[in-house]
Amino acid sequence: MFDKKSYILYKFHKELNQSFQNKRELLEHALPAMRDLFKLDRVYFFDWQQERAMLSLKMMCKKEYCMDMQEDISVRNEPAFLQEMLKNGVAKTMDLGYPALYLLIKWKRPSLELRAGEVHSFMQEKVGVLRLERFRKHRVFTEQEIDLIKALGQEISHNLHNTEIDQAKNQRLNVSTALNDLATIFASSLRLNDGLELILKGVQKYFRFDRVHLYLTNAEGTKIKSVLGVDISGQVTQRDGKTLNKEEEQQLLKDVFEEAVSYRSGRSVIYIPLKVQRNKVGFLTFDNILSRRRIGYLDFISLQQFASQMALAIDNARLFERVQELSNYDELTKLPVRRYFNEKFAEEIYRSKRFDLSLSLIIIDIDWFKQINDGYGHQIGDWALKAISQVVRTSLRQTDVPCRFGGDEMMLMLPRTNGEEAKLIAHRLKESIHAITLPTRCTGGEEVHLSVSQGISSFPMDGDSVETLLERADQALYVVKQNGRGDYALYRDVADKVPHIPIAKKK
Amino acid sequence: MIVWVMPDSGAKTKEDYATLLALFKKENPSIDVNIRVFTRNVLWRRMFTIKHPTHEEEVPDVIQIPHYWTALLVKEGVAENLSQLDPGLSLADALLPLREHCYQPGTKDIYSYPWWFDVSALHYRADHLKLVTQHPEEDLRTWQGFLSICKALQETFHDVPGYFPVQNSDWRGSLSMRNALPCVWSAGVSLLSADKTTTQVGTKPFKEALLNYINLASKGYMPILRERGSLGTMMSGKASMMISRKQGISTFSARRGMRVHTVPLPAIGKKSVSYLSGMNLFINTLSQHKKDALKFIKFCTRPDIQTRYAKMIEVFPAFEEPFERLVSSAPRLELYREIVSSARTLPNMVITGTIMEILKHVLAICAAQLVSGTFTPASLNKELDSTAQEISYLLSIYEG
Repeated sequence: MFDKKSYILYKFHKELNQSFQNKRELLEHALPAMRDLFKLDRVYFFDWQQERAMLSLKMMCKKEYCMDMQEDISVRNEPAFLQEMLKNGVAKTMDLGYPALYLLIKWKRPSLELRAGEVHSFMQEKVGVLRLERFRKHRVFTEQEIDLIKALGQEISHNLHNTEIDQAKNQRLNVSTALNDLATIFASSLRLNDGLELILKGVQKYFRFDRVHLYLTNAEGTKIKSVLGVDISGQVTQRDGKTLNKEEEQQLLKDVFEEAVSYRSGRSVIYIPLKVQRNKVGFLTFDNILSRRRIGYLDFISLQQFASQMALAIDNARLFERVQELSNYDELTKLPVRRYFNEKFAEEIYRSKRFDLSLSLIIIDIDWFKQINDGYGHQIGDWALKAISQVVRTSLRQTDVPCRFGGDEMMLMLPRTNGEEAKLIAHRLKESIHAITLPTRCTGGEEVHLSVSQGISSFPMDGDSVETLLERADQALYVVKQNGRGDYALYRDVADKVPHIPIAKKK
Repeated sequence: MIVWVMPDSGAKTKEDYATLLALFKKENPSIDVNIRVFTRNVLWRRMFTIKHPTHEEEVPDVIQIPHYWTALLVKEGVAENLSQLDPGLSLADALLPLREHCYQPGTKDIYSYPWWFDVSALHYRADHLKLVTQHPEEDLRTWQGFLSICKALQETFHDVPGYFPVQNSDWRGSLSMRNALPCVWSAGVSLLSADKTTTQVGTKPFKEALLNYINLASKGYMPILRERGSLGTMMSGKASMMISRKQGISTFSARRGMRVHTVPLPAIGKKSVSYLSGMNLFINTLSQHKKDALKFIKFCTRPDIQTRYAKMIEVFPAFEEPFERLVSSAPRLELYREIVSSARTLPNMVITGTIMEILKHVLAICAAQLVSGTFTPASLNKELDSTAQEISYLLSIYEG
């Protein structure tokens, strides 16, 4: 047979013998159970802040329900009460004008809070205080009751420990699943930028940060190249590193890479560097500046693990982009190759047709290139090619696309440019290229100027397909060459001089 | 339908809501409403997580918020555009100071609807003050006069253990921005400049104005961080005055024949300014019951229900006609017409809630320092200087 104490303990244990999602849910069961067992009028639960000697009210239970409440009570100036409670784990009081009992509850839980500049210990002791009140009938607490209340307090401690461990495990599991999902999404994104946007949005959603930013840096970590961010409304913003305030940029880089600042508690910001071996990729910042919510330790370590995967993925993606870039460019002239040009040209013709825009094409042929190669050697031939392509690259607008089309042939695509405007560009190129002279040490002191012949065609006047425009520009070039080289011509200006024979034969 | 609210009437909150819901249920038998009560702190944190609820978290349909959170919730995208949900919805009858807090800043789209409000005033025990002054209302017009009364009361009641001239009305028993702001405003300063592009928190007038309020505690005129209800209450005779909302004073009316008088807050500068705080309701964009939610909001803000609920929890209805009816119903409430007309509200900006959180933290630090005897005006200045920097940073991020 159970005695009364064992029976009450059993009943209480049964009440709490279930899985609770969190401390709040557990207390919502435990406090009413205590109230009923001891005929209490009110039960309060406080967090105990040792360093401030402060009781912080969290929950109140009266009649049929429990409610979150907030109140801070300093007991710094009440040494007798404080000593009794800390020494015995229980303190009786009549300060309120009716019997009340304070009961200390201690339990261990995973350390959740991230603190700046501290070595983190995984488990920490947490202390709470229950205040039991009987204000209606003023019935005092007997010694037997206090004994029993202490035993129930231990039961609550035990349950708080289990609940908080389970909660931390579930949280960790959720976070791992979320990060795994994000990594999969990232891996399947074709473009680096799209993948990064998805990642940032995902991290913000799962971890519920106010803002998340990704700073991409150069490999030395001395310059920020770009910043991608997601703000509180979920909007993605992208900024060029050049637009950043230089002082702030340097401070950020110093904080993250040199001084390894990882957490600013005042602002609730964490910084996580992205590195692959010694190479710096960039860094991530997560902040709750607006909400002032603290950032949890578990979130921090999960994000750190995730960041190393992310750094590797970004580095790989960058390498892939670099390889693609290399395969699209001619090594000697640094101009895009024919394949790349053809793709861009087809896209631009489509756009010009759709939006009714003009487009011009210039084919450039270096005059007497075979003679230069034969007479001064291939090295000088290469030098000439480089010098001319340098002029081409530096004379064009951002939207213009040049390419090395063949041995001594170059091509220029000029979007939103009509034939007359293209002639102006060709004229400028003619002048600039003519100013180049071969190195005199290779020509025996002779001053040899370079020159090019240029054929121009433009959409829609001279043709409306890639093939026609290429053919017409080539025919205009043929006419220029026939007329002594070193000049340029627009197809429709010289159309009557073009012999009607197939291109292949002309060449 | 789930409704998240704050403990409007303290420990009585759930009972009051039960009464309100019974009325709603009578008119809308098919709509079930579940009330969840959260403290302002918890609700503040949840405003940043409701957008992405986890599997375990419930999705609220209607949420009660302080008026100045509206801009933030619109920015976050968690508040439903009520004007779109019901194009006929109007704020024409709402009290003027409350209207602009319902819109998305810069537009006339309503995102939250005003329900009730409260305003701060000075309440005093007539029997206590009679012992130290013949003209309490006149003496209490200025802060200096108020401090003189505090001093005189402290001397008069020096033999009453645990007596303080002023009862602390803060729910947490700490220093509160709600009570500090009127001092600041009355001194002619504010949280932000008139064009809201810079902060005045780091300025000398702001620091001095805030110090006036903190000095109530440092001079021993007001208790802090003590057991509420055990020390320094007007009811127990251990306090004589209280700066509080109308709600805060309700406990003392008609008890033990105690006569509590109400006057506007003492002015530090040229005129008295009170703190007017409104409570609004908004619908969560993730709500699956938006029509029912709108019905609930319209029910709560209907003039008869507004008046009834406002009387129940001792506050004021947010609409003009019910407000007028309420203040005309009792002579002691007539004064509130004057107090409301000179009251100020916090601006409806994305960062206002954050600024209040930061300043609350500053006051909590001051309170702890006061208890441990380490508080100095210099320590307050230091805190306010870094707060000003933080507010400037917030302005640059969110309001720039």
